[in-house]
Amino acid sequence: MNKSLASWKLLLFAGALPILVILALNLSLGEGIHKEAFKRFANSILTSYIVVGLILLGNLFFYADSRHRPLAPLVGMLVAVSFGVLVVWSLTSYDDLLLEANSGLRSQLLSNIVRLIVGITGMSVAALFAVGFTFAMITGRERRILFKEEE
Amino acid sequence: MIKATLLFWIPLIMIGLGLWLSTSRKSKILGLVILVTSSLIFLASPWTVPSSDSTAGAHLILSIIAPCILLIYGLHGMIFGGHVPVGRLDSTARLSGFFAMFVSIGIFSLMHWSSFTPVWRSDVNPYWIVFWPTMLLFSTSLCAAASIAMVGYGENRFAESVKLAGMSILFAGIALIAMLIDGEYTTANEFRDYLFLAVADIFGILVGGILSVAIFALVIWGYESTLPNPESTGPPTEQELKKLVEIANNHIGGEEE
Repeated sequence: MNKSLASWKLLLFAGALPILVILALNLSLGEGIHKEAFKRFANSILTSYIVVGLILLGNLFFYADSRHRPLAPLVGMLVAVSFGVLVVWSLTSYDDLLLEANSGLRSQLLSNIVRLIVGITGMSVAALFAVGFTFAMITGRERRILFKEEE
Repeated sequence: MIKATLLFWIPLIMIGLGLWLSTSRKSKILGLVILVTSSLIFLASPWTVPSSDSTAGAHLILSIIAPCILLIYGLHGMIFGGHVPVGRLDSTARLSGFFAMFVSIGIFSLMHWSSFTPVWRSDVNPYWIVFWPTMLLFSTSLCAAASIAMVGYGENRFAESVKLAGMSILFAGIALIAMLIDGEYTTANEFRDYLFLAVADIFGILVGGILSVAIFALVIWGYESTLPNPESTGPPTEQELKKLVEIANNHIGGEEE
């Protein structure tokens, strides 16, 4: 296979295809998409956005250190994260738009964070498996001798 | 609430801080101490704060540690039991690693279909049904992508690519069986429902993370683009040229050797 065929678009498609096939099978077996799925998607996006934003905000301190501590990027990132928090707060408080099976705003926010940790744990175990198995396959084959000098 | 804050949420934040410090050169030991201590407090939270719903997350992580360690051991044996230039293990390590990896997948499956299920407050751990479909879906997705990458970027890697595709099919097969056959605590119907939520979780986490990184890049780019161009330096002075010649002379010649 040539290099252009193995583009990132193809890899992305290869990654998404099994999930889409399983989803299609799931749809054909069940009674349609789960009613909370869109709420979960929105909650996941916002929680991931805020948590990753906070981690990056921490990294900005190191960046600021190497640039004589400018305030502009720190304030910019803080505003971006605060915007995310504001969206979560308003959508969760307003007419339970993002409220899942939780009693209130606080329990929804805490549940979102724990779900994010569990989700990332699941994805990390999967990544560990896929990357580890790929390397195991690579090292499983006899090393080819490229030059006579290697013998 | 105060107990949960002290024994669950603060240790959780401290794990991140410990990880951060342990990667730095200056406070590596302090970081490791914080990381280990806060991890232990966090993992003990199902017993120290049983009233908090969030501690089910810690209970789940504790429940999956054993198969995860077995998986790491198996993958390590498989990788380093192969043809690696350094740190090569005994040839039997590859076989035992392969066995350990499949046992770990088996344990994960038994946690769904057998009494190994993580039980919390006499019922299935609510986060197990978040973790399990997420892991299955993401594994099948990554193995499929790795299979295409292997055949696309590597040379004569078709056999390895087929094995990776086989792994992807195995995980998809496990997900399919769970969609059709009831587990010990979770029915096939419930699993199908949670599969949608797992897809929402995976895409949500990825999209949110990418969005955050994009905004971070935008903020940095916005700031950097406002900075004035660096001033040009003047030509070297006589003294600087003299020093330069002296340094160059010291490094040219090689008579002493």
